[in-house]
Amino acid sequence: MTTESGAGARVNCVVDAEGRIALELPAPVAATRPHLLLRLRPKKGEPVTVSRTVPLEAVADGPARGVLEPLPALEEGRWDVFLLNGPDDTAPERLRPGLRDLRALVDGHLRDRPSPVAVRIPYVTKEGYLAVRAWLRTAHAEAGRIDVGDRSTTVTARLHGATFEDGAVVRLRMRGSDAPERDVRPVTDGDHLGFRFTVDHEDLAAGTAAEGGIWDVFVHPAADAPPIRVARLLDDVADRKASFVHPAARAAGAVLRPYYTLDNDLSIRVATG
Amino acid sequence: MFNRPPAAAPARVRRHELVTAHNWTGVDEVCTGMKISFLLHNAYGIGGTITTTFNLAQALAERHDVEIVSVLRHRKRPQITPDPRVSLRPLVDLREEKDHASHRTPAKVFPSAEYRYRQYSRLTDERIAEWLAATDADVVIGTRPGLNVHLALQAPERVLRVGQEHLTLDNHPAPLRTALRRAYRRLDVLTTVTEADARDYRRRMHLPGVRVEALPNSVPDPVLPPADGHAKMIVAAGRLVPVKRYDLLIQAFARVACEYPDWHLRIYGAGEQRDALRARIERLGLSNNAFLMGPAAPMEAEWVKASIGVSTSSFEPFGMTIVEAMRCGLPVVSTDCPYGPAEIIEDGVDGRLVPVGDRDRLGSALLELVRDDERRRAMGRAAAENARRFAPRNVVAHAERLLEEAVAARSAGRSATKTPRDVRQNLVSHGFAARDIAHTATGRVLRTLRRGQR
Repeated sequence: MTTESGAGARVNCVVDAEGRIALELPAPVAATRPHLLLRLRPKKGEPVTVSRTVPLEAVADGPARGVLEPLPALEEGRWDVFLLNGPDDTAPERLRPGLRDLRALVDGHLRDRPSPVAVRIPYVTKEGYLAVRAWLRTAHAEAGRIDVGDRSTTVTARLHGATFEDGAVVRLRMRGSDAPERDVRPVTDGDHLGFRFTVDHEDLAAGTAAEGGIWDVFVHPAADAPPIRVARLLDDVADRKASFVHPAARAAGAVLRPYYTLDNDLSIRVATG
Repeated sequence: MFNRPPAAAPARVRRHELVTAHNWTGVDEVCTGMKISFLLHNAYGIGGTITTTFNLAQALAERHDVEIVSVLRHRKRPQITPDPRVSLRPLVDLREEKDHASHRTPAKVFPSAEYRYRQYSRLTDERIAEWLAATDADVVIGTRPGLNVHLALQAPERVLRVGQEHLTLDNHPAPLRTALRRAYRRLDVLTTVTEADARDYRRRMHLPGVRVEALPNSVPDPVLPPADGHAKMIVAAGRLVPVKRYDLLIQAFARVACEYPDWHLRIYGAGEQRDALRARIERLGLSNNAFLMGPAAPMEAEWVKASIGVSTSSFEPFGMTIVEAMRCGLPVVSTDCPYGPAEIIEDGVDGRLVPVGDRDRLGSALLELVRDDERRRAMGRAAAENARRFAPRNVVAHAERLLEEAVAARSAGRSATKTPRDVRQNLVSHGFAARDIAHTATGRVLRTLRRGQR
């Protein structure tokens, strides 16, 4: 009934399991040919180069509705959402979120995805605007349980858009130049999709420089296959860094903690001293 | 007796009344006749009292002239947007008057035993008094103990004085109870959010002439389709503070996660206990099942992702989140703490009530619903149905009836304490229903006033 305040119209959205986003502006739109404009947020200081428009169907004195179909997929990144009052509108109005019905996404990890794996989650930016977080990856390894033990950490995950063959390896790569790597063998399921791998804490701590560092986690599903990032993308949580938190472990004078990055990728931080 | 105009009838006819002035008989005419002012601590903040006041104000604005008077203001815009028909008037603007000499002097009218005493001052005393003396409102509704005291002591005779208690008498410190006992006698109506608290006020405070009645908080009609009971998710929402007992919830949930590792618990909210709760989750090995999600507003889109709601508070004057979850189609497992939950949940029908602080009973009640899909879904449907009594239209109808009866009783020279039953007993021979009499009485008063204006 009452809503949070602030300038800017609000837009409700409903996402289905395929990633289709139905958008609705509950308040009547004045424009005769209203569109939603989605702009891929560029790096700081760079101009916007990628955008999408979604025509809105407006009912007289009623809500305006539009649908962002699953295809073509959105490029990976953060898409800000605006209201365009017409094709020549040069000052689109940035929109705020109303209700985001994302319940169809919660169990998204249960459904196997073909390549490329495209994911989109409407979310609220720090400034309170609506945006869509999109991932687009040739293949994806969805992290599930993470069990942090005293001596080792075991991650359970599942491939999407690729299958395991001979010579598969999980590779941890230290972030930075001339970065060291650590390989561990995944234990794969009979369906060649599910797998788990175990990282030895002392081994990882020993391989980390004295000032500490961050290990990014990849899986090569076959001996010569390109790396697939291990991440957690297939649910309703656009930013899980602060909510999906796993315990830390101590080894060889270092503190190790598996964590999700701002992009929901899985990494392991090793802090020394 | 109803044809006699009241002795000291103030001139209170407003423009929108004149529009319908030809319609002498309808209830609508009476209902559009009131100017209602809410006196609120700070309408620019976030909180349960603010939300529920804005909701009630908005619903009343359908037929009444409604304003919210905010004693304090600390920012340009309120964080919850009021309905455009509801006007908002601040009394002390802290952005400019924080260092006002009178604001650095302790309050004398606002009781010193009140929780918010330190935010009040001689300046707030003066501004509230000035506003009350000048108000043209028919009804002023105070929304916290200290403001109810202002209302009781300073509102002019022509104003119907309604005090609202959003906390409970039992939990007020003794010095505050003493201060309220004296002041509240001068109110016309006192509302609590539960029947239990209303009983406490009637039993423990001698308030002759004051009508004491429970008026629950309202929760807006959900916009989204209700939860379907299939999600393997339990959700709680509230500030992460000790009284919410999320430590107990996490312990109880450990049993669920052990038996059903694919079930998740999400706790929404921020607060001082976040790190301690996180540590508990890690210690119990629940990092893959229990999540501190941070604050979320609105909660509706989060409730519908779950199939069970849970509230583990040791004290809950009302229990807004319980009603919110139920309105979204979730059965709610709650502690039977004073006083809200037991007046919201029907144990075994639309949720479960368990003893306060009992980890095992809480865990068993959760497991019962996790295990039994059919029962969980049936209880969820019952919850959505039963919680409709907290819809704004129902609560506002109750509030309007209460205000109209009180106004009518006053105008007719009777005490506001007369309940409809008393009226019916007195006037049964006239063949009217009590409510109609109340409406007619008010209608006549207004009619008479309008004639006087012509």
